[in-house]
Amino acid sequence: MTFSVVADKVHTGTPLSLADGLALYRHPNLMEVGSLANVVRERHHADRTYFNRNLHINPTNVCTAACKLCSFSRRDAQAPGAFVLTVEQAVDKLRARIDAGDKVTEVHIVGGLHDGLPFDYFTRLLSGLKALAPGITIKAFSAVEIFFFHRCYGMPVEEILLRLRAAGLDSLPGGGAEILSPRVREAICPNKCGADEWLEVHRVAHHLGMKSNCTMLFGTVETLDERVEHLLNLRALQAETGGFLAFIPLPFHPENNALGDRPAPTAAEILRTCAVARLMLDNVPHIKAYWVSLGLATAQTALWFGADDFDGTVSEEKIYHQAGALSPQSLSPEAIAAMVRAAGRSPVERDTLYAQFSLVDKREAV
Amino acid sequence: MRRLRLTAVSFLNTRPIVYGIERGLIGAGRFELGFDLPSRCAAAVASGEADLALMPIASYGASTSDLRIVPGVAIASHTAVRTVMLMGDVPWHEMDTIVLDEASRTSQILVQLLTRQRGLAPRYEREEHDRIADRVGGRTGALIIGDLCFSASSRFRHVYDLGAEWRSATGLPFVYAVWIGRPDVLLPGDVALLQESLALGLSHRQAIARDWAAKNGVDAAICEHYLEQNIYYGLGAAELCGAAAFLEGGFRAGLLGRNSALRFFSSPPRPAKATVARSLDSMLSDAAAGARLAFDEGLRLHQSASLHDLGLAADQRRHSLHPQGVVTYIIDRNVNYTNACTTACQFCNFYRTPGDSRVYTLTRDQLAQKLQETVAMDGIQVLLQGGINPQLGLDYYEELFRWMKASFPIAIHGLSPEEIRYLAERENLAVPAVIERLVAAGLDSIPGGAAEILDDEIRRRISPRKCSVATWLDVMRQAHLLGLRSTATMVFGFGEEARHIVGHLDKLRALEDETAGFTAFICWSFQAEGTRLPLRDDTSATRYLRTLALARLYLDNFPNLQVSWVTMGPAIGQIGLRFGGNDFGSAMIEENVVAQAGAVFKLSAEDIERYVRAAGFEPRRRNMRYEWLGQAQPTPA
Repeated sequence: MTFSVVADKVHTGTPLSLADGLALYRHPNLMEVGSLANVVRERHHADRTYFNRNLHINPTNVCTAACKLCSFSRRDAQAPGAFVLTVEQAVDKLRARIDAGDKVTEVHIVGGLHDGLPFDYFTRLLSGLKALAPGITIKAFSAVEIFFFHRCYGMPVEEILLRLRAAGLDSLPGGGAEILSPRVREAICPNKCGADEWLEVHRVAHHLGMKSNCTMLFGTVETLDERVEHLLNLRALQAETGGFLAFIPLPFHPENNALGDRPAPTAAEILRTCAVARLMLDNVPHIKAYWVSLGLATAQTALWFGADDFDGTVSEEKIYHQAGALSPQSLSPEAIAAMVRAAGRSPVERDTLYAQFSLVDKREAV
Repeated sequence: MRRLRLTAVSFLNTRPIVYGIERGLIGAGRFELGFDLPSRCAAAVASGEADLALMPIASYGASTSDLRIVPGVAIASHTAVRTVMLMGDVPWHEMDTIVLDEASRTSQILVQLLTRQRGLAPRYEREEHDRIADRVGGRTGALIIGDLCFSASSRFRHVYDLGAEWRSATGLPFVYAVWIGRPDVLLPGDVALLQESLALGLSHRQAIARDWAAKNGVDAAICEHYLEQNIYYGLGAAELCGAAAFLEGGFRAGLLGRNSALRFFSSPPRPAKATVARSLDSMLSDAAAGARLAFDEGLRLHQSASLHDLGLAADQRRHSLHPQGVVTYIIDRNVNYTNACTTACQFCNFYRTPGDSRVYTLTRDQLAQKLQETVAMDGIQVLLQGGINPQLGLDYYEELFRWMKASFPIAIHGLSPEEIRYLAERENLAVPAVIERLVAAGLDSIPGGAAEILDDEIRRRISPRKCSVATWLDVMRQAHLLGLRSTATMVFGFGEEARHIVGHLDKLRALEDETAGFTAFICWSFQAEGTRLPLRDDTSATRYLRTLALARLYLDNFPNLQVSWVTMGPAIGQIGLRFGGNDFGSAMIEENVVAQAGAVFKLSAEDIERYVRAAGFEPRRRNMRYEWLGQAQPTPA
């Protein structure tokens, strides 16, 4: 498969195959791959680049999964550095932001698989946040956590989702997908839900009318074939449900975890993966350059390599910083807008579901 | 005006150079051209019999007279040369004897250097030109030169083109011959005439080839291909680096008596050519192919071209200049010998005003330790820069350099134009005199610092006490004429406009046209932390990448562009390799200046190689001439 054949398919809107994806990964000229991804990016979004104002809450780092790729988790509640936030403490984090005048529109919640918490801890957490800020959108619990709740509390996935939704859950984040391959999961996260289970949780959520994101953790033990197959799995589910809003490429960060003897993917590999994802996932609306993980400079450059979303203001990011991320822990909306504009793109503030937009006025720029 | 006596060898490859003069079309009343044997050309200049000779580079290197080179004109090759070859019935490494053609000393040294580089030590014998091909046989190979190569190359099983071999060993072009004369024999106008004669000859290469073929009974198509594809007639920065690498290699191998600096007659500024209005797309594709951009076109690209369009064009240009897919880097150490400085630039957080308790000047012991560490880490160079410290005079530097050179096997890449200008002022000497003394003491090359933005309006605002644009350029010009190579830099993000950026590049390009002395260009963004100058400008990654790509396209005569991972971070440094950069800079053992202003990235040679490979290139170590060092390393599994 040659690059020009793949490029022709992209120009005519033909979905790409496994062989096409591999050709894009192996094509020596990164600029050409990026440029092609940019065609698709601009076809969908012109020069708009989205971001939101969000808050990250990690309720606990206690986790039974013991994934080799993770620097965040602690095995049990007694381990040094282990924490469980009370519902009040978690709600206070949002309160502090609101009191500081921050117009947060989204709370993003992911945490460890803690088998010692009652289910109502999570429903109280959601309803507590909604009680404080009824207009806020809660994007919470990766498919891995939902599947863990199903196992831990003995309820079907659908019932878990319905109960959480009743308590305030709006959408699901895309984490925990890693690489949707039994071989890779066995090597890096054997105690997490399987590939089929991860997809099934999203399928159920989508059927219930909930939106979600999807991710790919790359740079551990996977092959290029496994990366492209991962993207094809996501594309197949999206063709079925249409429930994914955004795909987020996540380069592996090697510090403080059990896989740390391998180097992190470099910027060239990150930008290429971003571009390949944009080209393979023709039915997923958004590709997110999650600056916390990519680093600001690479995330900004990624806006020309397929990405159209810069994620949000974040604040208090813990998971990647435990793994050695050098990015700041939060950004102001003005800083994001300035960085987007410096890249020659138009910053657009959005809500979680990309339902409401506002173009950021130039005068707000720093 | 006195007529100048020019002498050249009557070879096919000299014809385009003398074309206009020989026909009386150029310099008719000024030049008188004669032909002579190569070995006699040097002697004719030395004795004053000739004013100027088109002379083999080895003759320049061996000469004990003070000589100057005519800028811009050379007989060189970028890869295969076709007329300097090693031939044999056995492969190179099996030859126990190599017979050398007596007619060409340059080729003799070339084959010996390349043989030595392969770790081989055959016996060398000499033979007359006409009898040499007959000596080949068994384990005896021969250096064969000139037209003879055309007929002989099919006779032997193993044929090595030494132009191509030099390129793959060093990464550099090879220079065979240049115009050489005693200082002061030429006026700048004469240099222009010699350059015009070549330009005319280049446009008549087909006729020259046919004429030669008819007179000598050889194939016209071969001659034409030879003049158009094999021989490169320019003497740009890359060719100068190749020539300097050859002269130093010859000296180190004991094949040349001295390591001569390449010194030049001064050249008149090249007039700008009028350009036809081009669309943005044709500007980009033309520039990607190496065509010159006009100032206004540079402005339009700066303002209107997208990040991808600039990147793709710059990447293509980088590829045509460096088709081997190699990205180079150097191991050196940045030593800031003093932080005392009277210049008080607003963007600097490194300097301390003389008298401040935090002022330092490194002691010999401190320096010795740093240099020992550098050598121990395979460092080959020290980048020596400091503040403008009124305590330190020229004798300080002379003693320092002599001591460094006597104590450590290390090149000194030191003193920005601002430091040299200050020494000239302090010692009441002319700039060339200061440079001559520094070179005599051991200075090898000059870093391109203190340029910031080469625009006096910007300089008055951010560094009013620093040298003017004219002074900065003139120090570089004088250094280049005296045979020093230098780099050039640009720091952006001071609120300058497109015209300042393009103007900066334009000034560098014009000086490079004149001297070909810049080996590389490096840009980065202003690092503001802790300085007195608030950051009010875009210094983000995408601006850096755009600026780098624009520089690659605009600086058509610069062979190398370094990425600045030290300031921009390794991620963007790596991506810069796709936006025109072909060099990863230095595996820096120490850096103080931008570290004070917030840039704190560190990379080992191993890290650099990993980044370079992940971007799809082969890493090679280099020296300041961008000459590859050592053997290519296989890609680790």
